Amino acid sequence: MTRLHNPTGKLADAPDAVLAERAGDGDVAAFEALARRHGPLMRAYARRLARTYDEADDVVQDALITAWKDIGSLQDGTAVKAWLMRIVGRRAVDAGRRRKSHGNVDEQPETADKAPTPDQAAVAGSARQALSTALARLPEEQRRCWVLKEFGGQSYEEIAEALGISAASVRGRLARARTTLVKEMEEWR
Amino acid sequence: MAMNHTQDCGRHIEDLSDYLDTGASPDAEHIDHCPQCQARLAGLRSLNAAAMELLDDDVASASAGDTGWLDGILANLKLETRAGRSIPLEGGDMEDLSATEGSVIAMVRAVGDSLGGVLIGRCRLEGDVSVPGAPVEVNINVSARYGYQLPSLAQELREAVLAQILVQTELNIAAVNVAFTDMRPPLGDGTRNAEAPESTEEGKQ
Repeated sequence: MTRLHNPTGKLADAPDAVLAERAGDGDVAAFEALARRHGPLMRAYARRLARTYDEADDVVQDALITAWKDIGSLQDGTAVKAWLMRIVGRRAVDAGRRRKSHGNVDEQPETADKAPTPDQAAVAGSARQALSTALARLPEEQRRCWVLKEFGGQSYEEIAEALGISAASVRGRLARARTTLVKEMEEWR
Repeated sequence: MAMNHTQDCGRHIEDLSDYLDTGASPDAEHIDHCPQCQARLAGLRSLNAAAMELLDDDVASASAGDTGWLDGILANLKLETRAGRSIPLEGGDMEDLSATEGSVIAMVRAVGDSLGGVLIGRCRLEGDVSVPGAPVEVNINVSARYGYQLPSLAQELREAVLAQILVQTELNIAAVNVAFTDMRPPLGDGTRNAEAPESTEEGKQ
């Protein structure tokens, strides 16, 4: 599929900081350019945090709505990517909370029931496929911490705030997640 | 329950992760010489490498196929615009006419973007725009393309913006201030309209 034409071609190679400034001034096209540039990363991140792909797309939508409302108050436009990722992380955690309060899902660890995409099938047998499988087997609370840290680049404090737990608990969960993941990766080898 | 994260040598995986992240540890002397710690560090490094590969894969599959999912989200966002402050216009006997700050800033962007080499960033109207006749300064951040003379570019931009604001509004413009906050690399040859053809996202099988 061909690339969608950019309404103003000049935005295509504009740096994030300029786009963020324009979006902050209400320029929809600039915000759109940012969303198209970082949307795939936001979606990939949301997919690892959410239960299903549909939930992930809802999370990205919520995140973009929030971002559009708040981007005028973003101080450092060069940090817009990290800022977008933080919003996705928070929205994904919120979505998980809503899901739990609506459904009566037990506290048992949830395993992701994601059908492998053709891309994933193609890399079966690789280290990343082994990691993907191991991640899916982690208890959700550990997987979340690990994904927020490793894919979202968030600090212990940010993760703690998003999850409503202490930074020490984040450290503990991450340690357990890493221990399990390292072990499973070693067994795979 | 077994304490999996405790090493026989007493070191925790958290300490090793921190060492890996920061490159420093008060316990570096031990870690550097402990075979167990070294083995765990190697495991963590492999995990990090696999994580980066997995993320790349995930991003590739998230952007595979059409962009319909994003188009729908973005279409909804367009319904909401930001108006900013209201700017009065003297419209004779009619109801008090007004423009909005947002519309003036959008106009400045459109004027600036129509000039070669200029991409407007943030634009601010400083002054009390809601009081007729109050002096207002227009502050504009600009991303410029290499190869353009900045002083003449700034002058051209100031004149174009001022002219357009005078036509469209009754603002008393005291100054148009242009700040070049970013420089972008030149575009190969004179093909100004075919911007950024170098990003070849398709063609990847």
